[in-house]
Amino acid sequence: MLTPQAKKRWIKFKALKRGYYSFILITVLIFLSLFAELIASNRPVVIHYNGELHFPTYGDILPGTSFGYDYQWEVNYKDLQKQFNLEDKGNWLIMPVIPFNPLESDFIEGEYPPYAPSIESKHYLGTDMAGRDITSRLIYGFRIAILFSLFLLAVTYIIGVFIGALMGYLGGTFDLVFQRLIEVLSNIPILYVIMIVASIVTPDFWTLVLLLAAFSWMGLTWYMRTETYRENSREYVMAARAIGASHSRIIFKHILPNSVSILVTFFPFSVVSGITSLTSLDYLGFGLPAPTPSWGELLQQGTANLEYQWIAISAVAALSFVLTLVTFIGEAIREAFDPKKYSYYE
Amino acid sequence: MKFRKINCAVMFLLLSISIQSNANTLPADLSWENNNNAKPWASPLATKGGKFTDFILTFPPTLRTVGPDSNSSFRSYINANQLGLTDFHPNTLEIIPQIATEWAYGQDGKTVFYKLDPSARWSDGNPVTADDFLFTLDFMRSKHINAPWYNNHYTNEITSVKKFGDHTISITGRVAKPKEELHYYYGLVPTPKHFYKKIDKNWVKKYNWKIIPNTGPYQISKIKKGKRITFERKSDWWAADRPLNKNRFNVDKVILKVIRDTNIAYKHFEKGELDSYALVLPEFWHNKAKGKLYDNGYLEKFTFYNNSPRSSSGWFLNTDNSILKEKPVRIALAHALNFDKVIKTVLRGDYERLQAFHTGYGEFSNKNISARKFDLKAANKILDEAGWQQRGGDGVRISNGQRLSLNLVYGRKEHSDRWSILKQDALKAGIEINLRLQDSSSHYKTIMQKQHQIASLGWSTGFRPAFWQHFHSENAHKPQTNNITNLDNKNIDKDIEAYRAETDSNKRVKLANALAQQIHDSAVFIPSFKVPYTRGAHWRWLKFPDAPGTKTSSTLYSPFGDGGIFWVDSKTKIETKAARKNSTKYSSVNKTFDQYRENTSD
Repeated sequence: MLTPQAKKRWIKFKALKRGYYSFILITVLIFLSLFAELIASNRPVVIHYNGELHFPTYGDILPGTSFGYDYQWEVNYKDLQKQFNLEDKGNWLIMPVIPFNPLESDFIEGEYPPYAPSIESKHYLGTDMAGRDITSRLIYGFRIAILFSLFLLAVTYIIGVFIGALMGYLGGTFDLVFQRLIEVLSNIPILYVIMIVASIVTPDFWTLVLLLAAFSWMGLTWYMRTETYRENSREYVMAARAIGASHSRIIFKHILPNSVSILVTFFPFSVVSGITSLTSLDYLGFGLPAPTPSWGELLQQGTANLEYQWIAISAVAALSFVLTLVTFIGEAIREAFDPKKYSYYE
Repeated sequence: MKFRKINCAVMFLLLSISIQSNANTLPADLSWENNNNAKPWASPLATKGGKFTDFILTFPPTLRTVGPDSNSSFRSYINANQLGLTDFHPNTLEIIPQIATEWAYGQDGKTVFYKLDPSARWSDGNPVTADDFLFTLDFMRSKHINAPWYNNHYTNEITSVKKFGDHTISITGRVAKPKEELHYYYGLVPTPKHFYKKIDKNWVKKYNWKIIPNTGPYQISKIKKGKRITFERKSDWWAADRPLNKNRFNVDKVILKVIRDTNIAYKHFEKGELDSYALVLPEFWHNKAKGKLYDNGYLEKFTFYNNSPRSSSGWFLNTDNSILKEKPVRIALAHALNFDKVIKTVLRGDYERLQAFHTGYGEFSNKNISARKFDLKAANKILDEAGWQQRGGDGVRISNGQRLSLNLVYGRKEHSDRWSILKQDALKAGIEINLRLQDSSSHYKTIMQKQHQIASLGWSTGFRPAFWQHFHSENAHKPQTNNITNLDNKNIDKDIEAYRAETDSNKRVKLANALAQQIHDSAVFIPSFKVPYTRGAHWRWLKFPDAPGTKTSSTLYSPFGDGGIFWVDSKTKIETKAARKNSTKYSSVNKTFDQYRENTSD
C-alpha cells in the first residue's frame, strides 16, 4: 500500500525514538481526551439504582425526581453517592477518576477559592479562582485546543494547498494576482483582527477556526507554489500531459503526491501554532467565551494570582509538555523526510 | 441725520446701563440662613505640623482645571482648595458656609442670594469680591478656554449672576429646583479677576503651568515636573478660625509623589515613604496587607463603612426581548441567581448585596425594598405557571419551541468567575445563561444600541436619584438613551414627571420612594453588589479622630476638601522608626468603624 519511499521514511521515523514515542503518547492522549466525560465529570460512569443500571455520562440529564428527590434539575450525584452509602440498599454508583466537570464550582465551606491541590478533596491539581477543578479543566482544555488546531490545520491546508497548487500550475496572471493578494493578507496582524472581531461578536469554536484560517492559509501557498512549479516541469508531468490527462488529474494524481513531503513536515508545527494561537487569544480574553475550559484562561488566572502557584504551574507545565511532544514529532518527521538522504533525483 | 441716530443709540445704551445698575437692589423680603451651629467633625486633640506623603499614578498634563487635558484625577486636588459659596456637611448633608456666610432664596424658586465673607482672601492677599463671581461667568463662557461643556453649562444652566455691592451676589438658574439642589447645581466658585485680567486666545497655552491664586487651606508650593507636587499649608488662612475648620488641615505639607504602578507604590508605603495606602481592592487587602509590619503594629488597618449614594450595579433586562418581555420570567430569573454565594466565595465576603436601584440617597432611597432572594422553588414555580413547564434533555425549559436561553453581555473579564457561578444555579431553574464578554467600548455600544438581552453594568451616582433617564418611556425603544431596560409604563412615566417638576423636598421624597417600589415591581433590574466601605492602612504615626471619616468619605486619607481631619504625631513617628530598627512590637491594629453602616436587610 505504501510506496517504497514512504515505507523507508516511516521506518526512519520509527527509528527516531524520541519523536516516535512522542507520537504514540500524543495519539493516546488525543484518543483518551475524546472520552474525557468518562475520566473527568460530575456524572457517574454507571449507576445501579433499584435494580436498574444507568449510564448517565452521555445524553440527557437525569432529574432529581428519578432518584426520589423533589427537584426537577439534574441530580447532585455526590449527594446521591452519600445517600447510597448511608442507606445501604444495594444501590451504588461509580464516579470517574476526577469527579468534577470543568464548569462546576466546588466550594469548601468557610474557605475561599482557589483551593490548593489535595488528594482528600479529589482536586489533584487544586482549583482555579472560581473553585473549578484544574485537572478537569486541563483535560477538557486539551481536547478543545488539540481539536481546534487539527480543524484549523485541515482548513488552512485545504485552502493553502489548493491555491498554492493552482498558482504554481497555472502561473501567469493568476499567479501574479494571488501573489500580491497573499502579500497584502500576510501583512494584516491576525491577532488584532481577531480582537476586533471578537469585540463585536463573541466567537464560538467554528467562527474562531474559520477566522484564524482566513488569515493563516497564506504561509503554505508559497511552498506549494514552488513545489508545483518544480514538479510541473518534470518529465513525468509532461508525459501525463502528452497522453491527455486532465488538469485536475495532473494536479491531484501526479503533482500533489510528489509534494506531500513538504506538507507533512509542516504538519506538527502548524499544530503547535494552532494551540498557541488559541491559548494566547484565550489568555487575552478574546478567545472562546467563558466559562469554556481553556489553557489560556487558566494561564491568565495563574499569572494574575501568582501567590496561588498551582494554577500557573499546572497551566505552564501542561502547555510546555504538549508543545514539546509535538515539537519532538516535528523534528523526527523533518529528519525522516530529509531529502538530502532519501530523495532521489534523476 | 445719521449722526443723530448713532447718538441716540449711545444715549439709549448709557441709559440702559444705568437702569440696570439701579435695578440691582436686594429684594426686601429675603430671610437669610447661615447654619452656624453645624457640628464639627474634627478632633480637638489634633496638632499641627509634619508632612503627609501620598502618590499619584501620573503627573498631571496641566495645572489648569478647565480646557484641554484638564480632566485628570489631579484636578480634584486643585479644586478641593478652591472654595465655593457653600458646601454640604459631610455627615448631615446640611448646607454649610464656605465663602458665603449667609444665603437666602428668591421667590421664583431658581435664585439664591449669597452674602460673602468680607475677610475672604485669595492666596496672593487680594480680597475675594462679588466681581470674582461675576468674572467666573465671563471666564466660563469664553471660547478661549476651549471647554464646550463649561461654555454650555454657564450659558444655559446658569442664566445670570448679579452683584449687590462688593459682598452680596445672586445666582439665577434655568429652572426652579428644591433649595439644596439650587446650591448643588447653580453654586459658583470665584475666579480671580485681578489675576487673569483678560482671557485671550493664548489662554490655554499660557496657563498650562501657572499656579492660580486660590481660597482654600493649601496652595501648591513646589513642582518637580514628572516627579512630585508639593502643597503647603497657608500660615494665615483667612478661614482657619471658622468652627468647622478648626483642628482640620493639620499637616504643614502635602507631598504627592508620582509612582506609576500601584504595586511599586505599595512597596514605597511599606518602606515608610508613603504615610497611607488605600486597600479597597480585595487582592491588596487579603494578599498584600499582611505580615510583620502589621503584626508588629507599625501599620494599622482601618475599615470604615460609609453611607453615600451607591452605584446602580446589576443586571439590566431588556424588555424588548421576546423572552424577557414576560414579567414572570424576569421575576423567576431574579430568584434563580445566587448572588450571596458569589459574595461568600469568589468575592471573599468583601462585597454586599445591593438591594435596590437607588441606595445610599438618604430618605430618597426606599429602604423597604430588598432584592429578590435566591429561591429555586419560587423560580421553578413561577416558570411552571408561566407556561415554561416543559424541560429539554439538557434541563433547559422550553415553551412553544423556544429555549429559555439568555445572553448576558458584560465588559470585564475579571467578572467571568462571578457570572459562571450564577450560571450554574440558574440552570437548576431551567434557565440557561450564556456569558458574552465584550471589550468595554463595544459592551457600551451594544447596550446603547439596546441590542442586549441581559446587560451587566453599573451606573455612576448623582446628587439625587435620577429616574427619567433610566425609566421613562420617552427614552425607551430607541438607541443612545439610558433607559436600557426599555421599560415603558404609563404610571411610572406619570410619577417620574411629577418627581421632576416637584420643588418641595418632602413630596419629592415620597415620589422617589413610590417610584423605587414600582421599579422593583417591574423586575427589570436585578441588583448585584455594592462596596459599602472604604478601607486602607497607614503608619501608626497618622492619628485620627474617634470617627476617622465622615458619612460620605470615599477615602480616609484625603488631606483636603471635607477631609484633612488626621494629623501626624511627630513623637510617635520617631518612636516607630526606632522601634522598627530594634524590632519593638506594638499590638496590631485592625479596626472596623460601622457607625454609618447601612442596615442590611438580612
